Amino acid sequence: MSVDTAVETKTVFGAEVPQPPQHGAAGGVMRGLNFGTGLIGGIGLAAVAGWVTAILTPSSASNASFAPMEPTYVYLAVLLGWVVGFMLGMGAFVGPLRWVVGRDITHADAEYMAGKDLGRKRYWKYTTDHKVVGIQYLVVTLFILGFAGLLAMLIRTELGMTWTSLFTPSFYNSMIGTHGIAMIIGMIVVISGPLGNFIVPMMIGARDMAYPRLNALSVWLLVAAVPMLVSSMFMGGIQDGWSVYQPLASQAPVGMLGYQMTIIIFAISTAIASVNLMTTILTMRAKGMTWSRTPIFVYGIFAASVMGLYAFPFFQYAQILGLTDRVFSTSFFDPLNGGSVWLYENLFWLLGHPEVYVILIPSMAVALELMPVFLRKPLFSFNFAVAGIVGVVALSGLVWAHHMYMTGWAPAANYPFMLSTEMISIPVGFLVLVAIGTFWRGTAWTRLPLMAVYAVIFNKMIGGVTGVYLSDVPADQYFHGSMFVVAHFHFMLMGAGLFGAMAGIAFFFPKMTGRILDERVGSIGLWTAFIGFQITFISMFVAGLQGQPRRVLDFDDQFNLSNWISTIGAYIIGIGMLIFLSAIITSWRSGVIASSNPWGSKSLEWQTETPVPLENFPVLPVVTERPYNYGVPDPYEAELESIDEDLTEKAGTK
Amino acid sequence: MSADTLIPEEPEAPTNRPPSMERVRSWLQRPYARKILILTVVIGFLLLPLAWLLLAAMNQTGAPASEIMKDIEQTVFVFTLVSIPITAFVFAVLVYSLIGWRQISGDEPPMQDSPAIRTNTIGVILWTVASSLLAMFLVVWGLVELAQITANSYGSISADEQPGQKSSEIINVTGQQWVWTFEYPEHNGLTSDILYLPLDRPVYFNVTSKDVIHNFWAVELGVKIDANPGAITQTGVTANKLGTFNVRCAELCGMHHAFMQTQIQVLEQDAFDSWVRESGGKKTS
Ligand SMILES: [Cu+2]
Repeated sequence: MSVDTAVETKTVFGAEVPQPPQHGAAGGVMRGLNFGTGLIGGIGLAAVAGWVTAILTPSSASNASFAPMEPTYVYLAVLLGWVVGFMLGMGAFVGPLRWVVGRDITHADAEYMAGKDLGRKRYWKYTTDHKVVGIQYLVVTLFILGFAGLLAMLIRTELGMTWTSLFTPSFYNSMIGTHGIAMIIGMIVVISGPLGNFIVPMMIGARDMAYPRLNALSVWLLVAAVPMLVSSMFMGGIQDGWSVYQPLASQAPVGMLGYQMTIIIFAISTAIASVNLMTTILTMRAKGMTWSRTPIFVYGIFAASVMGLYAFPFFQYAQILGLTDRVFSTSFFDPLNGGSVWLYENLFWLLGHPEVYVILIPSMAVALELMPVFLRKPLFSFNFAVAGIVGVVALSGLVWAHHMYMTGWAPAANYPFMLSTEMISIPVGFLVLVAIGTFWRGTAWTRLPLMAVYAVIFNKMIGGVTGVYLSDVPADQYFHGSMFVVAHFHFMLMGAGLFGAMAGIAFFFPKMTGRILDERVGSIGLWTAFIGFQITFISMFVAGLQGQPRRVLDFDDQFNLSNWISTIGAYIIGIGMLIFLSAIITSWRSGVIASSNPWGSKSLEWQTETPVPLENFPVLPVVTERPYNYGVPDPYEAELESIDEDLTEKAGTK
Repeated sequence: MSADTLIPEEPEAPTNRPPSMERVRSWLQRPYARKILILTVVIGFLLLPLAWLLLAAMNQTGAPASEIMKDIEQTVFVFTLVSIPITAFVFAVLVYSLIGWRQISGDEPPMQDSPAIRTNTIGVILWTVASSLLAMFLVVWGLVELAQITANSYGSISADEQPGQKSSEIINVTGQQWVWTFEYPEHNGLTSDILYLPLDRPVYFNVTSKDVIHNFWAVELGVKIDANPGAITQTGVTANKLGTFNVRCAELCGMHHAFMQTQIQVLEQDAFDSWVRESGGKKTS
C-alpha cells in the first residue's frame, strides 16, 4: 500500500503551513440545499409515508375500544416522514452520508457551511456559524411566541365574553393546551437559543461553538418541530392542557401524536444544544478567563443547559411511553390495565419543575449581565450570584412533587417536598440581593434594557411571594388547580422570563443586527405590555382567590368582573407586544447604525467589530481582569476606613 | 513574660462600641439609607391591607366553613404579613434607584462611573440570615399547619371517632366525565349528586374516578384531592357552618370540565336525617 506523502501547504503570514489532507472533492449536491429543498423533502416524504401507510393498513385495524387505528398510523407516518425528509432536504445528513462513502467534509465545504461569502442566503441554509444559528433561533422563537400569544388572546377573548361562547369546548381546550406547550417551548429557547448561541461564544472569546454542525442540527430540529405542533391543532388538537395528564391524553384525538412527536424531537434538539453550550463554555473560554472572570450570563446559560440536559429525558420518555400506549396499545399509563397515572405525573414534573428554572435562570442572568453596564458599577457580590445559580440548579431536581401535593400519590412525601421547595427561595433570594445590590447607589442610565430589568425584578418579587403560598401544602390545598396558579406562573415565566428576554434582546440587538433598537417605540411597547400584564394577572389572582378553577371556559357569575378586567389587560399586553415587535422589525430593517460598542461595555463580545466577522476575533483575546470592572472608588469607603483608624487609634492609646 | 500579665485586665469601657456597630451607625447617617428605610416602611404599610383583602376575596361565598379552611386562611394571612417587609424593601430600592440616586438618559454612556461596590460583608450576611430565617419560619409553619390539617382531615382521629363509628360519616365520592356522585354507604348506599353534609360532624371522603383524573374541590371547606382512576384517595372535613357551598372539579378532565360542579348543603343533624329518610336511606343514629 502506498501512502501519498505530498502534503499540500499554504502560505500564512509568510510561512509555509502544511494543510491537513482533504478526503474527497469539495462541493456537490450539498451546496444546492436550503430551507426550500427542506420543505420539499419534508412534505414529499410525509406524503409518501402517509400514502404507503394508508395502503398497508387494513381498514379493519382498531384498538381495544374499537376506534379505527388508520388515522393514528397515517398521522404518525406523516410526522416521521416530515422530520426525516425535512432534515434530509436541509442537508443535515451530508456529513454522516459522506463518512459512509469514505469521504468527509472538506475545508472548502466547511467554510461554505459556515456561510462564508453567502450573504443573506446563509440564513436559509444549514449554516454552522453560531451567529447565523443565533439569528435563526431568534426568528423561530419569535414565531413560536407570536403563535402562542395569538392563542392567548383568543383564550382571553372567550373568557371575557361571559355572555356567550365563541368556541366549542373541545377547541377551547385544544387552544389551552397548545398555548401552554408552545409558550413553554418558546420561553425555554428564547434566551438560550438566540443569545446563548450568538453571544456566549463571543462573550467567552471563542471563534464558534464547540460543535458547529450540531448547533445547526439543534436549530433545524426545532424548526422541524414547529409544524408538528401547529398541525396537531388541525388533527383534533391537544385538549388536555400542556401537561397532557394521562389517561385523559389517551382519550384525545390523534392530534395528541403531534404533541408527543414535537416533544420527542424538541428534547433531542435541547439535548444537543445543551451539550454544545456546556462543552463550549467548559473548554473554549479565552486564555485567562478563569471561573471568577467568566461573566454571569455564561453561568446562567451553563446552568440552564445542565438542567435541560437532565430534565428533558424524563419528559421525552413519558411522551414515548404515551405514544406507544396510543399506537401499539401498551398500557404504561392505563390504570385499568395495570398502568399508573401517578407514574406519568412524576415523569412529567421531573421535567416540569426544573424547566421553570431553565426559563428563569437565563432571564435573571441576562438581567444581572446588563445591569453593571447601565449602572456603571461592578456586579454586586459576584460570588453570591454564582452561589445563587448553583443553589437553584442543586435544588431544582428535588422539588418536582410540589405539583402533586393534591394528587394523593404520597401524602407523607408532601413534608419533604414542602421543605425543599421553600429552601429554593434562599438561592433565588441571593439573585435578588445581587440585583438590588447592583442598583444600590448606581447612576442609572435609563435605557430600555435597564428599564426592562426594573420590570423583571418587580414581577419576580410578586411571582416569588405568591409562589411561597403555593409551595405550602395547606395554602396549596386552596390554590392548586385554580386561576391563582395560572397568575403566579405567568408572573414568573412571562413577568420575569419574557421581560428578561426583552431586556436581553434590546441589550444585544446592536451586536446582533448592527442597529440600535428604537428606544422610544420599544419603551412604549415595553411599558404598555407591563401595565397590561399587571392588570391581567392581578385580576387573575383575584379570580383564583375567589375560587375559579383553571382551564375552564365557563364559570359562575361571581368571577365575571375579574375576568372582564383580565381580558382588557390581555388586549393591552397584546398591543404592547405588537408595538415592541414593530420596534424590532423596523429597527432591524432601518434602525440607526450601531457602533461596535454602543453601551460602553467592557465585556468581550462588544470589543469585536459590528457586524461581527466570520470567526469573531481577528486575534483571540486574553482576559486579564475580573468582569464588570466599572466604577470609581467609593467615597464612603474612605470615611469607613477613617472610622476604623479612629477605633484602632483609641485602642492603641488606651 | 512579666508577672503583671497575670493580673486580669480592666474591663473595656462601656462607651466603646464594637467597630461593626460604629459602621452601622455611620451607615444610618447617610442620607439615602434613611430615605430607603422610610420608603420601605411606607410601601410596607401600603401593602399591609393585602393581608385582609386576600381573605376577603376568598370569603366571598361563605368561607371559611371548616376548621381546615380557617387554617388555610390563617396561613395565607401570616405568609402575606411575613413577606411584606422584604417585598417592601426590594420595591423601595427599585423606586429609590429611579428617583433618588442619580440617573441620566441619552445616547452616550454616563461620563462618570458609580461607586465600585464589589460586595458588602454585613449586607450579605444580614440578607442571608434574614432570608434563611424567613424560609425556616415558612417551613416550620407549613409543617405544623400541614400536620394540623392532616389531623383535622383523617390523620389522628381519636379511637371513638374512627370511621365506622356513629359520630362520623363516610361518603364515597366518585368523579366521572362530567358529574360528581356522592354515595353514603352507611345509609343503604344512598347516592346523590349534591353533597349533603351534617353540621359539626367529621366526614370522611373516599375519592375515586371512573375515567380520567378529576379533582374534588369543596371550595369553602378547603378540601381538595385528586380523584384518580384505579386508586382511592382519602380525606375528610368537619363542616362547621350552615349553608350552600360549591364543589368544583379542579383538574382538567375533558370537554365539559368547566361544568363539572355541584352544590354542598351543610344541614343541621335533624335536617340531614330527614333528607336521608326522604331519599330512601336508613336513619343514621
Ligand atoms: Cu373533572
